[in-house]
Amino acid sequence: MTVFLQQVGLFLQYSLSGLLQGGVYALIGIGLTIIFGVMRVINFAHGDLLMLGMYATWLIFTKTGLDPYVALLATVPLLFLWGAFLQKVFINRVLNALPQNQILLTIGLGLIMSNSMMLIFTSDYRILTTSYSSSSFDLLGLSVSQPLLYSFLVTAAITAALFWFLQRTDTGQAIRATAQDRDAAQLMGINVRGTSILSFGIGSALAGAAGALIAPTYYIYPQVGSAFTLKAFVIVVLGGMGSIVGATLGGLIIGVTESLAAAYVASGLKELVVYVLFLGLLLFKPSGLLGKSRA
Amino acid sequence: MPTLSRSPRPRGFSVVAIALFLATALALAVFPSFVAKPYVMHMGVMLFLAIIQGQAWNVVGGYAGQYSVGHAAYFGVGAYVTMMLLEVSKIPPWWGIWGAILAAVALSAIIGSITFRLRGPYFVLASISVAEIIRLATLHFRDFTRGAEGYLLSEIPTLHLFGAEIVFVGKRPFYYAGLALAVATIAANWAVQHSKLGYYFQAIREDQDAAHSLGIHLSLYKNVALAISAAFTAFAGGFYAMFVKFIDPNIAFGLDVSVQIVLIAIIGGIGTIIGPVIGAMVLVPLSEVLRNPRGLVQVGVLSPDSGVVTFIERYLSNAHLLVYGILVVVVILFAPEGVLGVIRRVVAWGRRRVAARGASPAPA
Repeated sequence: MTVFLQQVGLFLQYSLSGLLQGGVYALIGIGLTIIFGVMRVINFAHGDLLMLGMYATWLIFTKTGLDPYVALLATVPLLFLWGAFLQKVFINRVLNALPQNQILLTIGLGLIMSNSMMLIFTSDYRILTTSYSSSSFDLLGLSVSQPLLYSFLVTAAITAALFWFLQRTDTGQAIRATAQDRDAAQLMGINVRGTSILSFGIGSALAGAAGALIAPTYYIYPQVGSAFTLKAFVIVVLGGMGSIVGATLGGLIIGVTESLAAAYVASGLKELVVYVLFLGLLLFKPSGLLGKSRA
Repeated sequence: MPTLSRSPRPRGFSVVAIALFLATALALAVFPSFVAKPYVMHMGVMLFLAIIQGQAWNVVGGYAGQYSVGHAAYFGVGAYVTMMLLEVSKIPPWWGIWGAILAAVALSAIIGSITFRLRGPYFVLASISVAEIIRLATLHFRDFTRGAEGYLLSEIPTLHLFGAEIVFVGKRPFYYAGLALAVATIAANWAVQHSKLGYYFQAIREDQDAAHSLGIHLSLYKNVALAISAAFTAFAGGFYAMFVKFIDPNIAFGLDVSVQIVLIAIIGGIGTIIGPVIGAMVLVPLSEVLRNPRGLVQVGVLSPDSGVVTFIERYLSNAHLLVYGILVVVVILFAPEGVLGVIRRVVAWGRRRVAARGASPAPA
């Protein structure tokens, strides 16, 4: 009986850690899904935007000693501007091109970003250690990692603010209208071009925020992005491309799945399990858990 | 009409083109007798390798229009099976590579039956995840694959061919083998393009639903295209493993490998025979020079104390993929049909100019 209870406790512990991790995944997924929803462009540079967020946070932390979560106030606007710039200069030109060309363009932009960082900072692994990096709270016998908890809380706040923005403000409605039907939105007098720039900026800012939030718990290196790019796709397809609620759920599910797979299968195989699930999902329900099936 | 200009003109065949192709191959075959510098040989081998990869991808990506960004799976299987058969079972690579090809074709049948039910971006994502699954599995199952440690080639046995002894030492044997393989791949690609199979592939690329309604079995022919592509990619992988003599999961199965394979075809111009050749000729010298600028000194293009060498070594050798990135962005934005498309456009423009200068003004 005690063994059974112990097992249940462990299961809850793994699930909780996964859930906290999943919060950040949700943030990455939401950014990608907004970009896809508005532009119908699959952004293969998403993980690299996250990587830029990590480096920005690390740089601010080592130069000024500013806490990574406070540094968000700088990293988020920076990444927003960078994303808006990418949209205005590059992505806007391929909105009507073949999807494979859009994919290749974003892959190219990602390569440029990761390799530029390699030129500047070399490929050394950087670590950002805060005073609370390895401390944890005790919650009803479960241990809760402090950095993960903080990042989860910040994620929840950002997500809530985003929902409010998209639902309640005119600009937010313009974004949702453009995502629903680009041409109709244009006919209604929405500045579709400006909305696209704004959306890519927001998507990029969310990726940057996610990067800042995981900076205290991850190694920081130029190629860190590609794993997150693929994971972001898994999350977004899981929730249904273009669905923000879906991406939030998808992020949490992937977080828990990874954590459980690491515990019960093998830690080296947690991502493999996620990709296998992804393939299964693509085959049997490509519209995602919440998505409407497209004929 | 942009879609039409993309498709090659496969009817009949040009004697001039074949003669040119054979002459080039012959010139490349006698080339080492004049210039035998290791760096030049190395560059040649890498060039042939890239041509094989690009041609192989072209079958499924260019003709059949299925943008696989997971070809590292077949490349890696080719490399690993050839290497493991040699190192573990002592089977020489010229037999082992057939095992590798068989394994890759079998793998392509599995992957194809899963991923070809998906279209567009979903297919791209599925192809990437399959390659990632294999990479992660190779990293994890250490007992079987040696994991991140990888395989170091000890020695390739001597090949007895028609009474001659071929010792695989230095770069020259690989140069000839690579040249032969590249010629064979191009010939095979040409045969595919000019066969009924090639027409089916192109019909699928242009309009899947129309092709289907004409009675073309979509998943069957997509799978056939992938199998052909996988076989040649595995060939390239096995050859690469023997040439470079070291492989690990990231070198063999990494996402970079898949992206580079696609780039060779894209930069040259997809769906054509000459496209991947042009792409390889652009990408390989560029990345080789950036990776090892000392070679230029060896060849005598640059003097040893030239500032260019130190500049490249200090700033660019770590980031040769940066140049790839810039190239892709430039090609997609300004020349989405590749270098070949640019050449065609310039030629067409020249012809129009000549025609306009003739007697009657050309109609718009």
